[in-house]
Amino acid sequence: MPKKEINYNVLSAELDKVLVKLQDPATSLDKAIELFKRGQAIIKELETYLSQAENVIRTLSRERPKTDQ
Amino acid sequence: MDNSLIVTVSEFIDLLNQTLEFAYPSISIIGELSDFKISKNKWIYFDLKDDKAKARFFGTVYQLPGPLKDGLMLKVRAIPHVHPQYGFSLTVQHIALSGEGSIKQASDLLKAKLIAEGLFADERKRSLPYPPSRIGLITSVESAAYTDFLKIINQRWGGLEIILNNVQVQGEPAIEQIIQAISQFNQMAYPPEVLVITRGGGSVDDLQIFNHELVTRSIAGSRIPTLVAIGHEQDVSLAELAADQRASTPSNAAELLVPDKNSVIEQLKMTRQQMTTHLLHSLQMVQITVADYKKTLQTEISQHITQSHNYLHSRSEIIALLDPQAILKRGYAIIFRQKHTLRQISDFRKDDLINIQLNDGSLEATVNNVIKM
Repeated sequence: MPKKEINYNVLSAELDKVLVKLQDPATSLDKAIELFKRGQAIIKELETYLSQAENVIRTLSRERPKTDQ
Repeated sequence: MDNSLIVTVSEFIDLLNQTLEFAYPSISIIGELSDFKISKNKWIYFDLKDDKAKARFFGTVYQLPGPLKDGLMLKVRAIPHVHPQYGFSLTVQHIALSGEGSIKQASDLLKAKLIAEGLFADERKRSLPYPPSRIGLITSVESAAYTDFLKIINQRWGGLEIILNNVQVQGEPAIEQIIQAISQFNQMAYPPEVLVITRGGGSVDDLQIFNHELVTRSIAGSRIPTLVAIGHEQDVSLAELAADQRASTPSNAAELLVPDKNSVIEQLKMTRQQMTTHLLHSLQMVQITVADYKKTLQTEISQHITQSHNYLHSRSEIIALLDPQAILKRGYAIIFRQKHTLRQISDFRKDDLINIQLNDGSLEATVNNVIKM
């Protein structure tokens, strides 16, 4: 697991929204700069996640009670 | 002399059962199904026969692998038993189909039944989270399917929690183990987002548990979306038809579950480039707008200056026209008497001393005579 817990799907969805707003001609330059900075930060976070995150495998025992954890 | 053992009928039956229990605690018998009957939706009765003999079996509907019909070849594990009233029978422990033809026929029967129930309907299919963060994996750790699935998923994606439920993926115990594993995942307080049930290819006999009615129903009834991957090329198993999604192999299951992180990283680079392009475009738009304003402003100011200039010019022309000196230049004169301008004949009297102003000088004169018109 990466040190910082991030949710790929949440960040990815936010990045899509940033991109849509950035493409909107009605977006002001100030807002576009703000969106650009946020988008860059998300991309950096996702790249770090993708290059560092590892999968964790745990085995569920069939003898254990039916509720997990 | 008669040395034979003398027992009562009941004792003889008990003795016979003890002997059978000792000799055949459990036995698997292969034969053709005949005289198959279901009683009160609970009990099943049937014969297995071959060319020369037949034997009677007794069991429950819960032991059925699916709908059966006479003529199918079965392999039935059972306990031989002599009933005090009804005679010899075999108590069923497990029923499996025997031979590819029978497996196929039984599978077709069950398939028709489950299709009629709508178990495989497209409307029941749920989409799988993409990518999921928690995966419930039902397979055998000793199988190639397990190794292949993990290899591909580890290559493609990270940050996943994979919860393994190690089960047998063929043979009689596999049915109960797979059903139990699905149930166990579904009862977790924090269940995985998707269940992957997988094994590699095998013979028709090996794979028949994935055509078992209870396994198929268990997959269809899972609250957690399911992905079933059985590595075979031919007929699709009923378990796969019941799943929300099927994959052709364990590796293919991993490919369907998660994107390839290298492609995603490439995509992110393109997104970064796209964002830069969009920002520059926004900036360019603002620059164009500012340039337009500047141009408009310049035009406005220029028009104002021209208008003012024209106004001044027209006024100066009027002023020039009204200048008395200009009139004098045209040959007219102004007559004064003691600084008062004389405009009409009645202003004059004989012998008045008058001053006549011309363009280029003035002269003094005396009025000799006044003549009215």
